[in-house]
Amino acid sequence: MKGLVSFLSCLALILGAVGAEAEVKNPDTFVMADYRTVQTIDPAASYDVAGSMRIWNMYETLIFFDGSSTEKFVPLLAAEVPTVANGGISADGKTYIFKIRKGVKFHVGGKLTPEDVVYSFKRHMILDQDGGPMWMLLEALTGKGSTRDKDGKIIPAVFDTIDRAVEAKGDTVVFHLPKPYPPLMSILCYTAASVVGKEWSIANGCWDGNIQNAAKYNNPAPGHEPLQKIENGTGPYQLKQWEPAKQFIFERFEGYWGPRPKIKTAIVKYVKEWSTRKLMLQNGDADRVVVDTPYVPEVKAMKGLNIYEVPQLGFTAGMFCRKINPAGNPNIGSGKLDGNGIPADFFTDINVRKAFLHAFDRETYQQDVFHGLVIMPTSPNVEGLPYHKAVPVYAFDLKKAAEYMKKAWGGQVWEKGFKMIITHNTGNEMREAAAVMLAENIMSLNPKFRIDVRNVEWKDYVVKIRDFQYPMFLSGWGADYADPHNFVYPFMHSNGYYGKFMALQSDKIDALCDAGIENVDPNKRAQLYSQLQNIWHADAIGIPLYQQIVVRAYRDYVHGFVPNAMFTDDNEIIKRIYKK
Amino acid sequence: MRFNGLSRHNRLNRLNLVIMLAYITRRSLLLILVLFGVSVLIFGILMTFSPERRAATFVSSPQQAKDIPRIIKQFGLDDPFYVQYIRWIKEVFKGNLGWSLVASRPVSEAFWNYFPVTLEMNLFAAPIVIIFGIWLGTLSGIHRDTWIDHSTRILAIVGWSLPTFLFALVLLMIFYGYFQIFSPGVLSDHLSMFILDNPDSFKAYTGLYTLDGILNGRLDITLNALSHLVLPVLTYVIVVVALNMRVMRSGMIEELSKEYVITAIAKGADKHTIHIKHARRNALLPVITVAGQLVAYSMEGSVAVEVVYNRHGIGWWLAESAVQLDIPVLMCICLFMAVIFVITNLTLDILYAYIDPRIRLN
Repeated sequence: MKGLVSFLSCLALILGAVGAEAEVKNPDTFVMADYRTVQTIDPAASYDVAGSMRIWNMYETLIFFDGSSTEKFVPLLAAEVPTVANGGISADGKTYIFKIRKGVKFHVGGKLTPEDVVYSFKRHMILDQDGGPMWMLLEALTGKGSTRDKDGKIIPAVFDTIDRAVEAKGDTVVFHLPKPYPPLMSILCYTAASVVGKEWSIANGCWDGNIQNAAKYNNPAPGHEPLQKIENGTGPYQLKQWEPAKQFIFERFEGYWGPRPKIKTAIVKYVKEWSTRKLMLQNGDADRVVVDTPYVPEVKAMKGLNIYEVPQLGFTAGMFCRKINPAGNPNIGSGKLDGNGIPADFFTDINVRKAFLHAFDRETYQQDVFHGLVIMPTSPNVEGLPYHKAVPVYAFDLKKAAEYMKKAWGGQVWEKGFKMIITHNTGNEMREAAAVMLAENIMSLNPKFRIDVRNVEWKDYVVKIRDFQYPMFLSGWGADYADPHNFVYPFMHSNGYYGKFMALQSDKIDALCDAGIENVDPNKRAQLYSQLQNIWHADAIGIPLYQQIVVRAYRDYVHGFVPNAMFTDDNEIIKRIYKK
Repeated sequence: MRFNGLSRHNRLNRLNLVIMLAYITRRSLLLILVLFGVSVLIFGILMTFSPERRAATFVSSPQQAKDIPRIIKQFGLDDPFYVQYIRWIKEVFKGNLGWSLVASRPVSEAFWNYFPVTLEMNLFAAPIVIIFGIWLGTLSGIHRDTWIDHSTRILAIVGWSLPTFLFALVLLMIFYGYFQIFSPGVLSDHLSMFILDNPDSFKAYTGLYTLDGILNGRLDITLNALSHLVLPVLTYVIVVVALNMRVMRSGMIEELSKEYVITAIAKGADKHTIHIKHARRNALLPVITVAGQLVAYSMEGSVAVEVVYNRHGIGWWLAESAVQLDIPVLMCICLFMAVIFVITNLTLDILYAYIDPRIRLN
């Protein structure tokens, strides 16, 4: 079937080449074809890449990324970017002061005031929906990642803490942090920090502004957040129409405080099928389409396009679970080291982990699977993040892999053999290729080694990983904000998302991770994250697989795109785009 | 003879009407039972997924997965089956079919948004499938083992064996990719924008652009919508007509070999009359069954056609919901299909009685 589709795609390319070249259609309209849907446009609840694209164009944050940088910022609703030097950030890193821009209008009327900013932050944190993004601001501003405990009960006095965390003083807004939190500036660029109009929000069913009533507005069911389908931001575009899972239409906001954008109307169409998206791009019915990695060669063969390759802040790794759940678990066979399975603690032996690392052929993987269009990471602190450094990697060497396997478990692994599975989520061809390559290389070491590669539908996959069901699983993480903490903590801390499900237990690593987030001194942080990156290698915690480079395909008459590693391929800052 | 002021003929008609009404009432009551059975069955099947798995439908990234236990508690996903079923049915009686994660809006609202897209395609495709199938099948049956028969049979085999998805892609690449006509979607952007900008001058009476265009006096919109229907309808017709044609052909061959036909031919009756008036009428019964089921089935939408031609109808919605385990949507569409099938069967039974007077509904 795939072969046929490829053949047809080639056919379309040939036919397309013969056909007339597309002209600049509708110069003041920008059409983008995407296949990801938007759940909500409420900034407090939206936590997907498609949603963030919509929100970033309609709402604004206090500051935003400066062009391609993920570390430098420009003011948006703030009049200037606070620094220690200009007195905007206190020396202890616990107070941030933002002077609010004047003359900014909301889409449905009214002018922006510091009170709107304060209300927005409090309202968003109070809402704190399960599965939502507010953990970031809550962690920074209250010291807790949620307003509720693990049983779903509201943490006592958490709303009072929220109330005290943000205040308006004259024409400024002041944030009071319980302890220094270096990534705060990056988090303030995220859609969860968007500013909404206070009066309008209250009129539309949002938190009424009284902190005593906060609990009533906490954790609404998905779809029941008051701003799910309406907006009133200050951004360059306003919502004209949203037909969920069909199309989203933006219209230029003529009262925008900044330079007038050139695009009047922007339409994001939901087009699931790749061939349809490609033909729309070819015919000029779409000015840009979202391209998945397997289709990059097709796009590169097309004429009349501007292609951008944008490295992403994301990290995918093969991870070893050191404490597999043995209860009725078919993924570890007999559950013993008898040639028909593995014990639950199989990967606690570093020799096994090192053998797996030496059996992974990074170079072939890079060339054959990605055609070189990938960054091969060395640790979770990937390129583009502060304090990144290239740590050594385990070179592909099957002899060394065999040596480590012979040492593992006192020689029992080599003598008796083993049987296990490697899992990846269904549909991810890059992970599938890595799993297959690794399994074949390991099996080539000894005929007694047997590994099955299994794909699991993503939602099942998440559940099973959380239940410690898989001995080895391939998974990834995309940036919430551009700071090493957002990557190192999940992959290495014993309480981090993957660290927990790999059953990592190291007081030293935990202490380094905690120190990394609590320290404001860049030099000190550099030292801490350097140590953690070294440990990732030395302790053979996991197999770094890839840091993706996404390809963006625009018609050649579309200009203005500025790449930024924080923006996934769904994102588009429309105010920068123009057609010529 | 008259009886109580009514002729025997009228009396029989009235009796038939009473029988038919009783039959319709009985079947309508049965519908409630069917809906209850289907809802319990589907709900039961969906409950075989663990609470964690169902909670994971609210999660789209590893970052969100930490909230799975809380989501289970919030929605009571670990409550016993009957508790969850009663909770769901109570909401249904209040008119709340739930929230669709796929459509990002209430299920009932999404349904009425997607259904017209599927209905519009079926309104054009179904008559063509039925009429074309009957015509081709009749032709093939009459001219058995001639080049006409062989050609139509080849067409049927090719049509039936073509993967819809692939065929739709080929048509799209040829017509849209090469000739740049028949673009995907339901309406061109400039007309969509016109409708959006002029809500007072264009009213969506039916949700079907072809019909609303006429009702609003905008033939350009009707024609544009029709041009967007060409490829979907063509794909659907070519793929589906084969079954109808095969059934009709078999029926015709069977009828033409019956003694009454041979006798009629021997007596010198007009062949055209024999074929069309007698044999075809009798051969129609199984075709009606098949066509009826096809039409009912097509209300579920053709996933491949809707995905390739970017028409967001019920088929596309169902496929996405199945992948993402959007339970309220799956429940809604299953119940909808149950209603459609019960109504279709009822209509078919009445049609049988009309076509073949020997069949009585009692």
